[in-house]
Amino acid sequence: MIGTRTLDVSELQPFEISNKSPLFWGQVLMCAIEGSMFFILIATYFYIRMSVDVWPPPGVPSPKPWFATLALIPLLASCVGSYIASEAAKKDDRRRMLLGLGLNLALAVLYLVLRGIEWRRLNFTWASDAHGSIVWTILFLHTYDVIADLLMTTVLILIIARGRYGEKQRLGVHVDSILWYFLVGIWIPLYVVLYWGAHLVGGAR
Amino acid sequence: MSLPLTADRQVTHEAPERDLLKRVWTNAGWFSVTTHQRLGKRYIITAFIFLLLGGIEALLMRLQLGAPENTLLGPARYNQIFTLHGTTMMFLFAVPMMEGMGVYLVPLLLGTRNVAFPRLNAFGYWMFLGGGLLLYGAALTNTIPDAGWFAYPPLSGPQFSPGKGVDVWAQMITFTEISALCVAVELAVTILRMRAPGMTLNKIPMYCWAMLVQSFMIIFAMPAVMVASTVFLLNDRTIGTHFVNPAEGGDPLLYQHVFWFFGHPEVYIIFIPALGMVTAIIEANARRSVFGYPAMVLALVGNGFVAFGLWVHHMFATGLPQIGEAYFTAASMMIAITSGVQIFCWIGTLWTGRLRLTTALHFVFGFIFIFVMGGMTGVILASIPLDLQAHDTFFVVAHFHYVLIGGALFPLFGGFHHWFPKFTGRMIDERLGKLSFWMLFIGFNLTFFPLHLVGLNGMPRRVYTYPVSLGWGPYNQLATFGAFIIAFGGVVFIANVMRSRKLGAAADANPWDAGTLEWATTSPPPNYNFECLPVVAARQPLWTDSPEQGSVVGLRDDRREVLVTSFLEAKPQSRYVIPGETIWPFITAVGFSIGLYYSVFSFAGYYVASVLGMIGLIGWFWPRRPLELRP
Repeated sequence: MIGTRTLDVSELQPFEISNKSPLFWGQVLMCAIEGSMFFILIATYFYIRMSVDVWPPPGVPSPKPWFATLALIPLLASCVGSYIASEAAKKDDRRRMLLGLGLNLALAVLYLVLRGIEWRRLNFTWASDAHGSIVWTILFLHTYDVIADLLMTTVLILIIARGRYGEKQRLGVHVDSILWYFLVGIWIPLYVVLYWGAHLVGGAR
Repeated sequence: MSLPLTADRQVTHEAPERDLLKRVWTNAGWFSVTTHQRLGKRYIITAFIFLLLGGIEALLMRLQLGAPENTLLGPARYNQIFTLHGTTMMFLFAVPMMEGMGVYLVPLLLGTRNVAFPRLNAFGYWMFLGGGLLLYGAALTNTIPDAGWFAYPPLSGPQFSPGKGVDVWAQMITFTEISALCVAVELAVTILRMRAPGMTLNKIPMYCWAMLVQSFMIIFAMPAVMVASTVFLLNDRTIGTHFVNPAEGGDPLLYQHVFWFFGHPEVYIIFIPALGMVTAIIEANARRSVFGYPAMVLALVGNGFVAFGLWVHHMFATGLPQIGEAYFTAASMMIAITSGVQIFCWIGTLWTGRLRLTTALHFVFGFIFIFVMGGMTGVILASIPLDLQAHDTFFVVAHFHYVLIGGALFPLFGGFHHWFPKFTGRMIDERLGKLSFWMLFIGFNLTFFPLHLVGLNGMPRRVYTYPVSLGWGPYNQLATFGAFIIAFGGVVFIANVMRSRKLGAAADANPWDAGTLEWATTSPPPNYNFECLPVVAARQPLWTDSPEQGSVVGLRDDRREVLVTSFLEAKPQSRYVIPGETIWPFITAVGFSIGLYYSVFSFAGYYVASVLGMIGLIGWFWPRRPLELRP
């Protein structure tokens, strides 16, 4: 029986902008979904490598990691912007939220430009062979996710700049930063596979 | 640990407050609904329609196989029918049905007002509907996939399956996966963070444990099938990637690995919620808490983990290294341990309880009988030499219908009878219910038991006919006869539902005297589920008289407030306003659907989906007027 005694919760915070919010947990699980997908793609990369004799295939030069490594600098630095924005969201500091989101966006766009330059240097396409298919798929899907997140960041900047936002939108800024950390974090293993994988497991079998 | 409850205060809402609660939780319109009960019902009804379609396809196959050298269906049509049947049952019936039951029941069992992300819930439903319309819309134009429900390349590749059927199949998967992933995320967060205060981890109803395990399995398994069907198969077919093309360094076995890395957990994704339903039915009808609760929870979680280490047992006939195969045999047999633990706990509960033989409990008995049979053939098939003999024969067909119909459909029907009063506010007719049970049970065994024998006699699956001289006719005749008994059982069930929801006796809040929270509110529950959220101190709060139980006060009634509790101890942590109803999830789903339909023909469809989807999402997230109702 549910008795007649009561538990008063009116003193509790009405909107928690922190990692205790359900939205944060939802975002973490969404990241787990993305992570599972990239995990399968990494497994696919090595599986395809095992089924051919020469890796990368004849005619494809071994990837030169220095440019992609250089591009990591703005990518990792963009997380600072996310951090500033999410801390400011907790304290409702509009100016610093805009600063953080803007920094995030600017560095991430710089990174995308570098990635674009790197991408143009590939001398194969997704339709060349299975090696081309998996490399292009990983690059495409990660870039797609990055662009989607940046569009969301742009929308958040517009909302915050307009000034008519509430706790929900601040929570959105915080959760957006979580997604960005994930997209940057997942790039590290993907980068290792794409740019060092051929050096580690390459050559003739 | 006990929560600081205050003694004896009036907790029922005064009339004006109740009006406010009602107004805040009013539905905004048919396309905007985010109430979990309404969406749950839509899932259940839509999935049931797909069950009927899949059932009609099954009858067509049984009619064709009922006599040797039959000419009712040609070989091409037969391939299409069995592909539609498997695809419909797995992706459009079983998973969405289990999700729909979860969407309806989980917030009620946990004592909260809605799921954590109600708009995501609406979006998930519309995506599921979009997937179903894609498959059957294409079928109306005679564009029907015909490479089986798992569409192995090279058969499903561009060379051997020209036409758009397989592309439709591959993209339909994307829709249903998006839908399942949405529900998995929202249910997992709801179960982890929105339980009634006091509902510590070891007091969560078993059904919610099952849904939690299922949700995590979906999160880790479903991305694999999107990779297999969309990235590998569809891209190979439409834009010329070479993932499964051996001529260019790809490998058809890669597809099988990734597909079954999803496909095996998929079976458990269907079947684990059913185990939760079985426990709920047994507890209510044996009138005691389940025996061995910690063992049951560990078995469920164990099932979830082991499920990811079994996929190769679908591929024993592909010539993989033997040492690897041996591992997968051992893992497959381990499932018998976790399943066995649960069967023993249920038998222990039934043995020591005071049984009430309702229709729901009949279905549970049917489940235990059929599922144990299917489990035993499962252990047989886990053994490689035996599997190689029985591979691709009707023995396998018999096995998986025993585990899937026995393991998922019977508990589901039981659960449906059990919760029918909660869904509709009326009692379901027990006599007709038992009649439909016996017809389904007898019909099922008549249909599928002979298939074991004919399979052992060598009849391969997926052949449209067979010569008289092989002597398979009588078995198949019996199976076809049984299939029609199943169909009539289904008709009795539908008639019972139709009749009872109009004419059944009115149900009070707790017609079964059950112990869990969904029975603490009216039948059917109001949109806000509970006037005051409950505080609980036991696994069966309605059977427990404790000073630590009571009601939550202090949530605002003028906006959609719910309580967030801590993950382990379920201590109140914060209040949380869930968003109001809006049409944007529907618009977003329509946008994605248009793009994904187009992607069957051209890769550019993904860009269309992205742009339309992005517009939808911006509308969805754009800040709106204050959350509170004006007084």
